[in-house]
Amino acid sequence: MRNRARIAIYLVWLAAVIALASGVAGHLTISSDLRDFVPPARTADQKLLLDEIGSGPGSRLLLLAISGAPEGELAALSQGLDEALAHDPLFVHVANGGGGLASIAPHLLPYRYLLSPTLDTHRFDAAYLHAQLQQRLQDLSSPAAPLLKPLLPRDPTLETLKLAERWAPPHQPRLRDGVWFSDRGEALLVAETRAPGFDPGAQARAIAALQEHFAALPDAKDAKLAISGPGWFGVQAARVTRAEADRFGAITTLGFVLMLLLAYRSAVPLLVTALPLLSGAATGFAMLALAFGHVHGITVAFGFTLLGVAQEYPLRVFSHRRTGASALECVRELWPLLATAIASVCIAYLAFFASGVAGLQQLAVFTITGLIVAGACTRWLLPRVLPEAERDMAVTPGLAAAWHCLARLPRPGWLPWLVAAAGIAVAALAPGRFWQNDLAALTPVPQAELQRDARLRAQLGAPDVRYLLVLRAPGEQGVLELSERIAPEMRTLVAHHALDAFELPSRYLPSIATQRARQAKLPDAAALQSALRQAMAGLPFRAGVFAPFVADVEAARTLPPLTPASIGQSPLGARLQAMLVRQEDGWIGLGTLSGVRDPAAIAAWAGGTHGAVHLLDLKAATESLVAAYRQRILVALGIAALLLCATVTLALRSPRRALHVLGPMTLATLLVLAVLRAAGIPLSLFHLVSLTLAAGLGLHYALFFERRTGDEREDLRTLHATLVCVASALLVFGVLALSSVPVLRAIGLTVALGVLFHFALSVLMAPHAAFPLPSGEDARPLAPMDRPINARSRRSSKGPGG
Amino acid sequence: MLALLAAFALPATAAPPRDPAAALLARLARPPPASTAFIEVSYSGMLDHPLIVSGELHWLGGDRLERDVEKPWREVAKIDDGELSVQRGNGAVRRMPVARAPQVGAVLAGFRALLDGDAAALSHDFTLSVQGGNARWVLTLTPRAGTLRDRIASIVIDGRGNAPRCMTLHEAGGDTTVTLLGEMAQAGLPSAAPLQSALLARCRNGT
Repeated sequence: MRNRARIAIYLVWLAAVIALASGVAGHLTISSDLRDFVPPARTADQKLLLDEIGSGPGSRLLLLAISGAPEGELAALSQGLDEALAHDPLFVHVANGGGGLASIAPHLLPYRYLLSPTLDTHRFDAAYLHAQLQQRLQDLSSPAAPLLKPLLPRDPTLETLKLAERWAPPHQPRLRDGVWFSDRGEALLVAETRAPGFDPGAQARAIAALQEHFAALPDAKDAKLAISGPGWFGVQAARVTRAEADRFGAITTLGFVLMLLLAYRSAVPLLVTALPLLSGAATGFAMLALAFGHVHGITVAFGFTLLGVAQEYPLRVFSHRRTGASALECVRELWPLLATAIASVCIAYLAFFASGVAGLQQLAVFTITGLIVAGACTRWLLPRVLPEAERDMAVTPGLAAAWHCLARLPRPGWLPWLVAAAGIAVAALAPGRFWQNDLAALTPVPQAELQRDARLRAQLGAPDVRYLLVLRAPGEQGVLELSERIAPEMRTLVAHHALDAFELPSRYLPSIATQRARQAKLPDAAALQSALRQAMAGLPFRAGVFAPFVADVEAARTLPPLTPASIGQSPLGARLQAMLVRQEDGWIGLGTLSGVRDPAAIAAWAGGTHGAVHLLDLKAATESLVAAYRQRILVALGIAALLLCATVTLALRSPRRALHVLGPMTLATLLVLAVLRAAGIPLSLFHLVSLTLAAGLGLHYALFFERRTGDEREDLRTLHATLVCVASALLVFGVLALSSVPVLRAIGLTVALGVLFHFALSVLMAPHAAFPLPSGEDARPLAPMDRPINARSRRSSKGPGG
Repeated sequence: MLALLAAFALPATAAPPRDPAAALLARLARPPPASTAFIEVSYSGMLDHPLIVSGELHWLGGDRLERDVEKPWREVAKIDDGELSVQRGNGAVRRMPVARAPQVGAVLAGFRALLDGDAAALSHDFTLSVQGGNARWVLTLTPRAGTLRDRIASIVIDGRGNAPRCMTLHEAGGDTTVTLLGEMAQAGLPSAAPLQSALLARCRNGT
């Protein structure tokens, strides 16, 4: 084929991949929603967690601390940020100590007598009013007078202040210049995002908006905004992981380039080596976009890892090219074996479809499509862009010596048994946890940030992100009544130091029944007038000054009780709506807890409510979901392994030959497992996926080593290909194993170990016939022309598939 | 209330400034801590006769003030770090941010500036005018802007020599609080319910 045609095909191919990728990018949403990833909820807790409410108000809170400027400036910045966030639709609620919920909407003012608990214990009779007025008189001469004076004619019993106190956070930080300050002199704020805490994508958008608002404030340049909370941790983890992955990616790319140049002494492989994999990935994404429309970020990470197998396809082709034969011819010879590898892996991944987990099905769609397309590109496109080979890789210096060395290795028959026994023993007996269910443990939060979070959380009295109190009742009012009933019991728990504070829906809105009871205790206008007259006797208050009070009480007597619906779109209403959730079979109220010290005591108390109240442990619920996912993935992998065995056996048409391929794969996987266990590393989903990738690579090594061509040069090319593949995998994943981010380390270490073991065992367990000693006794480099070029005629057509 | 702490008769130290208000403030300035007796008489539209309390005022330096009421009931009020806390008798401490009542904050800032002798800081929120000479003088603070002017009409301080005698807070709503300081407080009130005009005249002219 002429060079111009090759270049044209190459460019069209490249353009097609780019076009497909950019087209798909607009149509596929990479979500960070847990529901796209884990299996459907089974338990009530999992259901709550996935119903989004389970994320809980606590996990949506971002704790903010502004520092690095004089106090006055910090207070102004706090006010500015408060103002900006209050108008940002990404945030439900923001508080900095300067008001917030404490302000009751003017049209709701007469409701104060139904909302405040005063009438539960007192009556507006002459004695009570007299005592109250006496105190107001003292208030008038106190420094607080400017605050109270405007309230007095309308609210001499100060119900508005009682409500403000009731609705204020239970433990407030110190106020300076009207805003919250920590004891280290940082201005503190709390912002509640609309997005749930477990959605890092949405949290990242909210945090970016928040930082923009802050940067836009005057004098923000010198001050420092520190953010904390679950959303921030998720975003930070993603950022650190990506930064480290990019850094290592740059190193390994450079290494890979050098290695390709060294191995093939040509720039051509460099230009085309990534194309089959990229084509596969782009098509895989296109299929996902068509079939699902969205995919979880972790599924993408898993998919890319598994697709890594496809990087071997072009490398095999480069190594097997030779002078005098067209690339197409060489690929045709290689294809039956490659096709066997691709087909068996794809058939194996079909098992993921049956898992019933959307995440795993997406993984299967992506990986199968990707592998098939990458394989097809390697078979039909790659040879058409490759120029005539200038050298035969079989004559690479040192290769024959390496072959000789490998051929002479002892291959004791007891080796597999020993490896199996030792592997099983270590994997089973090593102490320590077997599984790691906490996905967050793979992207840990730096200790300093955790300490800061604990400090800010304690100072702000912010709710716990792990525990949530769930109240169940048939109706909304039922939830509010339940909430009122359990409040005293919760206070007892606080008194016993099981927790520091709690927040129940009834704190913001009493049930209709309670409101009616208070309403019934309000005196009529005549009775109130007379009581007030007696109460004012002997006090200097001017007659008639409390007329607005009398009018408000009269209005409150006939008000329809306030409901979550009628409370409307105030900060109070938003707070309440976040705490009351309608479900198919009733209503749920969410109570937040802070400073939880004895979850067992709270759970035990909740256990005595016969299911009406339940302590939801969000961490446990998430971990149980991950465990369920792992269960499914293990079953799927088990079925996949069986399918793989069957496919390989069928393709090789011999159980004995199949054993030579599958034996090393199985044992190498077992060995990796044993090493990880011995090192005390609990296995996560990422380890499982990495083991699967390593097994896919191992399948190639074993298949190619098992192949008997009867042609020394072809065998040397196989060795060359395998060495390049092993070296590149070791390079990429070995570097990753040095990462400080546990998730990258998990993938890197597992795959690197796997590649080593798979390679070693496929060499050591290969049939003797697969490593014949070269015809001469000594391993000597072969001169380019001392053998017939066309090896095909001499091959002992035992290649699989045909 | 709030007619705080202008009241601490000690010699002045600052260099003689040109502006008479600044010169007066420089004379009045004194180092913390400083204390004085006070009698506060509040005239309010809500009340038929004035409310009278007495006790001690303490300036502890910076933004920290304490006002101890001894009669007719006991009450301790503190302003510290922008927070106002009030405890009456042995009752619960009530806390509130000074920022929620701008008049409290501004008057506090004003009096701190007064004790600091810092005319520039005081001029930030108020226009200052002085009448009279060194022996007898009247310093009038008029709020410059915004919420403060909505609440406060003026603050008038009467004094003799280096000592303020009375501080009168005229609220925008018409209510007035007269605080007698130092010698005036020690001298006591002329009657149980003095008329506002009589009390103000006494501040200005009385002995």
